[in-house]
Amino acid sequence: MNFALNEDGEALRQAAQRFAERELAPGVRAAESRGCWSDEVLRVVDGFGLAGLDVPAERGGAGLGSLAKAVLLETLAHGDAGGLLAADPLGLAAGALVACPDVTTAKTLAAACLGREGACALVVAADPGRAPTRIEWTPARTRWAWITDGDDLRLLELSAAVAAAPALAFHASGGGSIGLDGARTLGAWQLDAGLGMQLRGRARLWAAAVATGVAQAALDATVAYATERIVFGKPVAHHQGNAFELAVAATRLQAARLMVRYAAAGFDDADSNAGFWASQAWLETMATAVTVTDLGVQLLGGHGFLKDHLAEKRFREARMLGLLAGGRDAADADVAAGALDPDPLFDMEAPA
Amino acid sequence: MRALDRRSREMLAEVRELGRKYIRPMGIESDRLEAPPPADHPFYKICARSGGIIGALLRLGGEGEDAGALEWQPLRVLLLMEEAAYWDRGVALSLPGPGLGGAALHSTATAEQKQRFLRVFDDDSRPHWAAMALTEPGAGSDVARIQTRARKEGDHWVLSGSKMFCSNGARADWVVVWATVDPELGRAGHRAFVVERGTPGFQLLRVEHKMGSHGYETSSFAVDDVRVPAENLLGGEEFYVGRKGFKGAMAAFNITRPIHASQGVGIGRAAHDIARDFVRAQYPQHGRRRQTALERLATIRRELQAARLLCWHAVWLYSQGKENALAASYAKLYAPPAALRAVSAALDIVGEAGVLRDTYLEKLYREVKILDIGEGTQQAQRLVIARRLVGLPRE
Repeated sequence: MNFALNEDGEALRQAAQRFAERELAPGVRAAESRGCWSDEVLRVVDGFGLAGLDVPAERGGAGLGSLAKAVLLETLAHGDAGGLLAADPLGLAAGALVACPDVTTAKTLAAACLGREGACALVVAADPGRAPTRIEWTPARTRWAWITDGDDLRLLELSAAVAAAPALAFHASGGGSIGLDGARTLGAWQLDAGLGMQLRGRARLWAAAVATGVAQAALDATVAYATERIVFGKPVAHHQGNAFELAVAATRLQAARLMVRYAAAGFDDADSNAGFWASQAWLETMATAVTVTDLGVQLLGGHGFLKDHLAEKRFREARMLGLLAGGRDAADADVAAGALDPDPLFDMEAPA
Repeated sequence: MRALDRRSREMLAEVRELGRKYIRPMGIESDRLEAPPPADHPFYKICARSGGIIGALLRLGGEGEDAGALEWQPLRVLLLMEEAAYWDRGVALSLPGPGLGGAALHSTATAEQKQRFLRVFDDDSRPHWAAMALTEPGAGSDVARIQTRARKEGDHWVLSGSKMFCSNGARADWVVVWATVDPELGRAGHRAFVVERGTPGFQLLRVEHKMGSHGYETSSFAVDDVRVPAENLLGGEEFYVGRKGFKGAMAAFNITRPIHASQGVGIGRAAHDIARDFVRAQYPQHGRRRQTALERLATIRRELQAARLLCWHAVWLYSQGKENALAASYAKLYAPPAALRAVSAALDIVGEAGVLRDTYLEKLYREVKILDIGEGTQQAQRLVIARRLVGLPRE
């Protein structure tokens, strides 16, 4: 077992960290007001190869793997997650591109997205067998929608532009709603058993990696504030009740991060259980991110409610991330469906 | 990130086999008798045989001053303890080998001492044990308060005091005993000594009666003017300049905490498998009750996997020679409550039948709680983490 990133991954993480600290974080509020990251910021993010990093080269991506992608997402999200959904036009749908049996279609779509002609959405059917009729929220430039329902996969080309609608968070990604009526079906496939779970797992991994970065940024800011602000004669963080809550938050966040990375490494190892563990990582991370960002607002007191601090932004972002890609009910259903499956690292009955 | 080396996989396969054949049945029998298996049980000899699982925990050091010395393998110990705890946590702790004494050696001893004290485990004619005695009646999680005294007399040290919660101490070839040269010095006064079997004055007071985990003995000792050769002071005199003695004790915790926590993953997995088999056999194929049970099973897996990764990460950092105190406390804070939740959720799934001894779950429920207490309670872990995270003052 080895928890270290390889040399390339570590170099990427360090470069992204510098960029997030120096360029992304200082511009958070301006980007929110503008509704997008600046062209200069997007150029640098493209330079990191964010979009398509986890898509194999034969499907038009960089093929550096899911672990590298997860680490990059977490690092950038620590600076500002607000524009990430728009900055990665494959984003949550990259797994659909990987799973699609029609390689030519996948490659064509990857090229279009990486050329910023539009973006892909992933829609998880809420009711098995009933086609979704609408996407309630998606980044502004969404042109294609992958619909996943069990092991069925459909690709739609949308017939209209996304109608701008203010949302809870991710204002720097634009975004709004769009109906699926009139959308043109570009393909429909019955995937091999379990591939639907794999592609939904990849989408959840994307959101979980971002949530880890958001939650870590919230925890860091909370610690900084709570160790300086004096109440009842000592720093907020030195009251044992608060200190213990922060200790538990840090522990849960580290657990979530390790689960995200473990699942990401599973995709890179072509583990057929990776989708299950990615969905498990998502469930753990989303609950943790909501708790940590809530604590972030709480320990700042009234200041946490003000836009002078970023605590309120991270509080909103964590909650919204947990609603993407079908949200908690879909993730619960997927992991419950896999709960009786053998796993070589977990079950005694599975082959080692 | 996820691959295990070949020897570790072989070791795990052997533990699984031994688990089915010996560890689980021995654990059930120990629980029935409320007494550990005898030290001459044939199982222990199988474990100690050349090329067996105990040998997998040791290797020859390859470089520098450690060249040629036997080294304790923390990552393999971690894997072994999770797997063995799946079959029976009590018997797992009774396995021959360096045990917690090995952890103390690993963090504190000189290369010569490691070689001298680990050599005994090369002897596969009979099983051998080692142990560590740190806790005292008045010093549990707050180990800085230990009162057992050490005074130098010529080329010996003389120890006096008392120790409790010493696992396998009564059958150990040697025990690492922590003492203080002066309680007024606080942590700077701490020293670790190897007390060898049969040393006069090191007397077993009693084997404790516990709620569960009867598969290993938990002993109390009187330390009554025990004379220890100066060369048995772990790390030598120079190791204790400044606060290094206490740091040595803490460094031992940095490896024992995640290993202890990983036993919770093993217990939780055992509970999970019982509940999963119950769902397969007893639940209807469809409906809300089945769905609720499946979601509970998935939650158990999720939390145990998070716990396992925290344990692995803490031990991996330690093996890399990196700072891991925070990671060790993360593992110790998270895993035991997750294990308790796993056993409790498994009881929910099985229902009233789960309280019967035949189901094994009630035994797991009696066993699992100690994990949240031993090696520093969860409250102690919160203190450790908070001190590092927000500089929580000690006073």
